Amino acid sequence: MADQPREGELPTFVRVLFPPVAIAPAGLLLTHCVRTLARRQPNLFDRLGEWRSARYLVAPSDLAFAFIVVPDGEKSIVHVVGKNSPGSVDVAITGPLLTLLGLLDGTLDGDALFFHRIISISGRTEAILALRNTIEDAELRPADFFGLHGIVARLADAGILNGLSVVRWLIAGRAHATGKL
Amino acid sequence: MELVCPAGTPAALRAAVSAGADAIYCGFRDETNARNFPGLNFSAAELAEGVRFAHAHGARVLVAINTFAQTGRVGQWRKAVDEAAGCGADAVIAADLAVLDHVAKNHTGLRLHLSVQAAAATPEAIGFYVETFGVRRVVLPRILSVQEIAALNRSIDVETEAFVFGGLCVMVEGRCHLSSYATGRSPNLSGVCSPPEMVSYDEDEEGTAARLAGFTIDRYAPGQPTGYPTLCKGRFTAGEKTSYLFEDPVSLNAGNLISSLKAAGVTALKIEGRQRGKRYVTEVVRAFRKAVDAVEAGSDAGEIDRILSGMSEGGRQTAGAYRKTWR
Repeated sequence: MADQPREGELPTFVRVLFPPVAIAPAGLLLTHCVRTLARRQPNLFDRLGEWRSARYLVAPSDLAFAFIVVPDGEKSIVHVVGKNSPGSVDVAITGPLLTLLGLLDGTLDGDALFFHRIISISGRTEAILALRNTIEDAELRPADFFGLHGIVARLADAGILNGLSVVRWLIAGRAHATGKL
Repeated sequence: MELVCPAGTPAALRAAVSAGADAIYCGFRDETNARNFPGLNFSAAELAEGVRFAHAHGARVLVAINTFAQTGRVGQWRKAVDEAAGCGADAVIAADLAVLDHVAKNHTGLRLHLSVQAAAATPEAIGFYVETFGVRRVVLPRILSVQEIAALNRSIDVETEAFVFGGLCVMVEGRCHLSSYATGRSPNLSGVCSPPEMVSYDEDEEGTAARLAGFTIDRYAPGQPTGYPTLCKGRFTAGEKTSYLFEDPVSLNAGNLISSLKAAGVTALKIEGRQRGKRYVTEVVRAFRKAVDAVEAGSDAGEIDRILSGMSEGGRQTAGAYRKTWR
């Protein structure tokens, strides 16, 4: 029987619905999205300095797969990998998917999440710090990843961010109902 | 009173300005400032843009060039001053005599603030900096009580700025070499006392060990909140007793002393935290903006406490030397 989800995590059945093999092609799409972002905002990755070529493992604790990200501007790469076989990485970041997404859009304070053990990191501390400061300054919105502009971008941002808020609220409500808060 | 707020990135600068900062302090992306972390700080172009944004919103920008210039490399610190002036900065915050001298001689229109790193806490020391370099404001070291600040302000004729929130140094600023023994680097010379490339968090069955340059600074049980390992806030065993030998891991919160600091003649209140994210900056600046405005409007201490009640972050806090309860 699968483990019960911890606070902030998606329901357990999500892991079953999205096995690593089925989701692997998403790596190509995400690679395209990050490279497109780099073309439109070439200075975005400057803060990473020498850590542009680092391999970051981003492992949502509530999914069966993880991502390897090399944030090297227009040469960026995103791979979908199995959690148990990520290969060699410089940094590993683990936490509930919705929490990790909250870091990406600046909704959440990464320092507080790390110091309170809601997310965990291991590996090169300077690499994770460089990435954290880069993301902090980028002020990314969901539409940035899809190359959207104008009213379409505003609608997409509103829809996605509000959708994430609703899912977070539902998960918090479920945890409250089961006495986990 | 002026509210001086931190910014480690242009996004944090905009956040601080929008949250109500009167002035923002920031630094360049190198070892000329005392928050030299990977991915943090400003390029000259970013600073120029940040200054434009701040001025457009009625805020000022103070540039911290506050580490001590290294032998044979003073040019890098002079260049930082020249770039800050070229970007339209409102003041430079410095501690090193060569840097202060360069500003005084070459940028006479640029305000000069004496950094906390200079640790100037006597009328004589402050008088020297004022008379020699034309310093307009002194950032006070965090070793003075409110009564001592009041007495000091009566003896000097220059603005003073006091820290009110954030990380706290137990050592006298600018004179701490503790980290040099473990890492070979110090905040005074290289702008960082715990360089992240020497920090590791190692997990085992007993929990997490936070290490600096291989030295275990503290251990945390599974699930227990951790901290960033700095030697002065480490837990060590000596004489068969394990304790925080130098300083408990607490943060400064002098929010309920704002009116006392105002009465003591302090011109500006400073929030620490250029290494913190924009969400943190926004929340802290917004709360202190309300608190300062309430003090200026004559609100009572209870109202100030209510405004700042959400600022504990779940961590332990102290009024530090402002209330020397150990005396």
